[in-house]
Amino acid sequence: MKEPKYPSLHQVKIYSIVTLILIMVGSGVSYWTAGRIDFYTNELMHTDKVVKRTGELYASILERETNIRGYVITKDQDFLSYYNQSNIDAKLLIDELQVLTIDNAQQQRNIEQLRNLVEERIRSFEATVSYLDTHGSLEGFVGPTRTNVELTGYKLIKNIVFDINQVENKLFIQRNKRLVNNINALPFIVGLISLFSVTIGLMTLFSVYQYNKAQKNSYLEISDVQKKLREKIQLLDDLNVELEQFAYVASHDLQEPLRKITAFSDLLNLQYYDKLEGDGLLYLNRITAAAVRMRQLITDLLEYSRAGKIDLDAIRPVMLNKVIAELLEDIEIAIQDKSAQVQVDPLGKVLGSDTEFRQVFQNLIANALKFSKPAVSSIITITSCDAEESIVKNFTFLDQSLSYYHIQVIDNGIGFGNEHAEKIFSVFQRLHGKKEFEGTGIGLAITRKIIEKYQGWIYAESVTGNGATFHIILPKITE
Amino acid sequence: MLKSVDKPIHILVAEDDEDDKLLIIKAFERTLPKEKVTCVEDGEALLRYLKRMPPYDNLDLYPNPDIILLDLNMPRKDGKEALAEIKANDNLKMIPVIIFTTSNNEEDIKATYKMGSSSFITKPSSFEGLVRVTEELENYWSKTVMLPA
Repeated sequence: MKEPKYPSLHQVKIYSIVTLILIMVGSGVSYWTAGRIDFYTNELMHTDKVVKRTGELYASILERETNIRGYVITKDQDFLSYYNQSNIDAKLLIDELQVLTIDNAQQQRNIEQLRNLVEERIRSFEATVSYLDTHGSLEGFVGPTRTNVELTGYKLIKNIVFDINQVENKLFIQRNKRLVNNINALPFIVGLISLFSVTIGLMTLFSVYQYNKAQKNSYLEISDVQKKLREKIQLLDDLNVELEQFAYVASHDLQEPLRKITAFSDLLNLQYYDKLEGDGLLYLNRITAAAVRMRQLITDLLEYSRAGKIDLDAIRPVMLNKVIAELLEDIEIAIQDKSAQVQVDPLGKVLGSDTEFRQVFQNLIANALKFSKPAVSSIITITSCDAEESIVKNFTFLDQSLSYYHIQVIDNGIGFGNEHAEKIFSVFQRLHGKKEFEGTGIGLAITRKIIEKYQGWIYAESVTGNGATFHIILPKITE
Repeated sequence: MLKSVDKPIHILVAEDDEDDKLLIIKAFERTLPKEKVTCVEDGEALLRYLKRMPPYDNLDLYPNPDIILLDLNMPRKDGKEALAEIKANDNLKMIPVIIFTTSNNEEDIKATYKMGSSSFITKPSSFEGLVRVTEELENYWSKTVMLPA
């Protein structure tokens, strides 16, 4: 099945960061453009001021000319005081213009020239007034040369004022153009960046939506898998119960004809013993022996099917040392027969039933005794410690949140090849011939079933000829 | 009116299995005369016998039993049903009923004792075992205890 491609959380984060950066850049550019607009507006106002002041200066010079003429014609003192007034105005205006155009070298030169021209004009006016006051008339003062000088002075002033205005007008046009450019660019820049931001923002939103959808989908998938698993576990549990029931019923019903085989062979043996000839008796014995073995198998199978049954009422803390001590007392003769030594370290308490854990250790000790080396007294050691995490981790089916005991049953017997370490826990699995060692091969299977029932695990390790170690992992009782 | 000790007892066996019937009769042969063991094949026949219903209305052919050996697993009327009926009947409830079955189920043992059975015996797996059981039964019920006549 092809998986739909969903954005990762990482992608969503990158989209968000890009959106944020774009918005910040947009704000920066807008702010900068607004600054430029402000700057060019100020520049324009500045230019406007220079043009205005130049105009005023020109007007003031004209006014002066008029006042001088008025005085010369009428000798009225009022014209002279007006003249003085405009004289001061002109100087102030030139000072102001010089300050206003401080950043423009061309205008500074123009204004300096204007100042000189104006001062020359003033000197000329004052010479005229002084002559008039001394001689009573301008007779002999005014001539064609003089008139020419006066006219040239005025023209020069007019030209320079024109020049100044020209420069400022040029500046005005330039600055106005820049201002208009900036004003025009502003909405374009802001629009463009907004468009980008909105696009990326939408992409982010879409990604978040997709991401959520993907999460929801994967959550649904997980819960679906969980549901299926639960169903499978339930099915397995049911099957297990059914299987145990089957084993119980089957073995129970198998007992019936078997009992009769045994009984009738007995009867035959009792009543017709003398009459049986040749191999007849041997065959009869074979029938009886086979029936006995089958009985044992069935009994073991029954026991195995019962071992898996959980009786909640029977579960209580089990003092393992007490259980083993009682067991050792009961099998004392078997231990003495093998001149065996059983050494038991302090073991903890586990949950279960005394009977079942007695069976566990009985099977393990009986096993160790059975598979002891001939002519070597067997030594069986039972130790316990806290299970290391690394060991518990190996068995994923164990509840990893619990703490466990690691109990070891170590013997010095004939051992087995480690490749058989798992096989020995299967039902009716035997590593040796029936003649060498008796038994059906159910003991370890029952042992594992009991330990499994109490959330533990048992496994074995061995080297042929070098003894065997059975490891029992069992949860500690939480007190 | 008490049956004196050390007098042969009459045993009624309710057993549907022909083999078991044969084995039981063979085992009892060693301790009891043949005519002292009667067999019926299920719980229904057992009740008819005890209530003297045909074909069990002839007292000479079918004498009153001193004890009943009752199998649990039988067709038509099983051991428990038959036991319940016997113990509910005033005329029959004093007859000792011995459960004789393949079962060794704890539940069956508890239930039948509660219902008033006198013993619970699991069928032995060997003929020798069966003979031992019949000997003990004979010894106990005919030589040790007193039974109502």
